Amino acid sequence: MIETHHLSKLYSRGLYALRDLTITVGKGEFVFLTGPSGAGKSTLLRLLLLQEQPSEGHIVVNGQDISKLSRRKVQEYRRGIGFVFQDFKLIPTRTVIENISFVPEVLGVPQAQQRRKAYQVLKWVGLQHRMNAFPHDLSGGEQQRIAIARAVASDPSLLLADEPTGNLDPDLSLEIMNLLREVNAGGTTVLVATHDRELIRLVGRRTITLEQGRMVEVA
Amino acid sequence: MRALDFAIREGWASLWRSGGSGAFAVLAIALAMIVLGALLLTTWNVERVLAQWSSAAEFSVYLRDDASSEQRGAIEELIDQSGIVTARQYVSKTDALGRFRREFAELASLADDFEDNPFPASVEVTVNPIAQEDGRADALVRRVSSLPGVADVRYDREWLTRLASGLTAVRGTGFGLAVVMALAAAVTVASVVRLGLNGRRSEIEIMQLVGSPLTFIRGPFIAEGILQGGLGALVALVLLWLGLAVAGAWWSTELTLILEGGSLQCLPLRLCVGLVAGGMAVGGLGGFSASRHAI
Repeated sequence: MIETHHLSKLYSRGLYALRDLTITVGKGEFVFLTGPSGAGKSTLLRLLLLQEQPSEGHIVVNGQDISKLSRRKVQEYRRGIGFVFQDFKLIPTRTVIENISFVPEVLGVPQAQQRRKAYQVLKWVGLQHRMNAFPHDLSGGEQQRIAIARAVASDPSLLLADEPTGNLDPDLSLEIMNLLREVNAGGTTVLVATHDRELIRLVGRRTITLEQGRMVEVA
Repeated sequence: MRALDFAIREGWASLWRSGGSGAFAVLAIALAMIVLGALLLTTWNVERVLAQWSSAAEFSVYLRDDASSEQRGAIEELIDQSGIVTARQYVSKTDALGRFRREFAELASLADDFEDNPFPASVEVTVNPIAQEDGRADALVRRVSSLPGVADVRYDREWLTRLASGLTAVRGTGFGLAVVMALAAAVTVASVVRLGLNGRRSEIEIMQLVGSPLTFIRGPFIAEGILQGGLGALVALVLLWLGLAVAGAWWSTELTLILEGGSLQCLPLRLCVGLVAGGMAVGGLGGFSASRHAI
């Protein structure tokens, strides 16, 4: 599913965010990416989302080298990826249902289908009763559940989550992880960046540990 | 179609949200379109009058006081045989004096002091418009000028040509000014659209991350510019129409005299449609520029 070959990301002033990273994540796998702040977890996710370009090395996703995609191809590639961020990234001026249906809408899905899909995933995260609320009316845990619902609304084959529980208490964090496990059980590959060792222990999946941009452990 | 529908909905919502800055952009386009529209309106009406005058173009053959009746007959025969004349009228010296007294009533008393009638007899000739275009009228004027008994020939084609040239120069200058104003309007639209774009950063970021096609991302900004441009052009048309109505009422006497009983006319539908399309194009250009700059 995901292979990186000698992947490096060099920022200005000679600072490496990632250095010579070679990892593999299999199709349908659930993998944690962990390490201290500045280890390169978020950088790797940004490279996988093509928000940034690698300085050296290659990234292969589903057999395709994504390092040299045209702008149009980048957009096509991203359609197969769902994302969840620590700060939720919900649109404050849209209601919950609109936030979710926004994704299929901007992908050109017919309106009736958008609404059906949005309601379906909203029901799955158990927030169908808040469908007309605005993000600022929701708690942090609810906002993150909406963000997960939005991420799976386009049926991605890969879900990237960058510190998805960073703003949540332990109980809510486990709840969010359970949702991600359910997504994974449906066949979606899930890659979660977190520094929460306790959460990793509770969920118990393969873990790649980074330090100063290098892989130091696979457990 | 879904991208178009999305672009129009989002563009309209953004225009509505932009409030005062959106109205400013609409006003900027309206000003540019008023300059262009006023120019088109002026040239359209002047060209109409010129065409009317051209179709009725005449030349006058002034006869010497000592011209014999045979010489006058030869002149009239040459004119009649040319085949390009639609009307011919002999104006005697007495008729010319009577016409002066009628048309310049306030100067009529001057005529009473004349010892002799100073007005020459003349032959007034109306030629058909095709002969004016192909040069046959000019040839006839030259031939008539050389006949004995002819004192002078006045052909009003020359000043019509000069007026038409002047009109072309005015049109060129005005068009240049309108282009400069349209570019300024496009820059204003781009700035206003960019302001709205900053308010939609989170939406744009999400659209980019989920792999939305560029038409969905850029479309709303281009649509917003087009809507601003179209609205600006419509405002300009309404203001031009009001201006025309005021001018028509204010200078009704002068216009009746100049237009020989006619009145100022509003732009024809095709030019109105062209003006609105132009406004939309200017706005769309501004919106496109803003979307390229930001995404």
